[in-house]
Amino acid sequence: MKLQEIIDKVGLKKLTNVEVRNVQGVFISDMLSDVMTNAKSGNLWLTVQTHKNTVSAANLINLAAIVVTHGKEVPQETIDLANRFYVIILGSDLSTYELVSKLIGIGLKP
Amino acid sequence: MAEELKLNLNLKRIKKVLKADVIQGKGLLSTKISGVYASDLVSDVLAYSKSGSVLLTGLCTKQVAISAYLSLFKAIIFIRGKRPNKEILEFAEEKNMIILLTENDMFEACVKIANADSNSISKFVKLIESSEKKNTSVHKFHIDGQDFSNSGLLSTQIKSILQNIGYEPYLIKRVSISAYEGEMNVVMHAKEANLTLNANEKEIQIIINDRGKGIPDIEQAMQAGYSTATEDQRALGFGSGMGLPNIKKNSDELKITSEVGKGTKVEMKFYVIQE
Repeated sequence: MKLQEIIDKVGLKKLTNVEVRNVQGVFISDMLSDVMTNAKSGNLWLTVQTHKNTVSAANLINLAAIVVTHGKEVPQETIDLANRFYVIILGSDLSTYELVSKLIGIGLKP
Repeated sequence: MAEELKLNLNLKRIKKVLKADVIQGKGLLSTKISGVYASDLVSDVLAYSKSGSVLLTGLCTKQVAISAYLSLFKAIIFIRGKRPNKEILEFAEEKNMIILLTENDMFEACVKIANADSNSISKFVKLIESSEKKNTSVHKFHIDGQDFSNSGLLSTQIKSILQNIGYEPYLIKRVSISAYEGEMNVVMHAKEANLTLNANEKEIQIIINDRGKGIPDIEQAMQAGYSTATEDQRALGFGSGMGLPNIKKNSDELKITSEVGKGTKVEMKFYVIQE
């Protein structure tokens, strides 16, 4: 599914520059090693972590985008770094669980 | 003159490093480009260039604009202060192409764009030495312990070095993940370290030699879930006790030696499978 379609359908906020990308599946974790081991390239990564390290992790394993849930504020330095490395960060005011149910609702497969 | 580079850049950054003026397509500057093609010959542009690139040229004619459009270029950068006429600008506007002007000559422009890509990372990373020995590309870096502000960027730099050499993506991913975990272990637990990357056509080797508290029981440290991370580090998403197991899982060889109170040496190898 196209990232833009997901952004429009579930109402995500664009916190960085956004380019055309395909999303394949979703991964949820707040532990970085867990993401590095188990997330797959092209995944949408749902997390409450907003530290700069999330950008390196997402870049290293080619994630489609990071979605920060619970309306957590993302520091400017994280956003700047993400723009530099073409990592996309999106935001949602929903809880991770609520967002997941919406993502399933629009037909995004695990 | 023809030069092509694999880049991970957008036009905003190119505009900045060339101090270029955008005279067409200001709204399209975040477009990512796949490469750069530098030429003053229209037929070369048509014959050799790849789509999604940006064309650097000192030839300021409508034929250049048309051939750039046909070759699926995203942008043209006119060098040496050349200014396109109204006809070229109208054509570019109609075809949604971006046009930039710079005073740089061809060589300066090529060098500045090439540097821009690696500079974006290397300014955060401390490179001690870089060389080619017996077909092996050697890079040695310094890592500061406890410096969370730039952590993860060295692994990003390593990924980009391996991409430039041209290894296959899955191998690069395994090395990147292992380098990241190794880098994070230094940042969390050690005072400082040197990381050496040796890459050749047979194998990629990473050696991380740190000065720090050392590991009293390596077997225990290798257990999934075992961690000595602090509460603060755990709050940042570290300390799941997956670091060393992750390196073990992604590498082909792993050797850890440690002396308590002095430091730890982690050596990992990744085999390059020849096709």
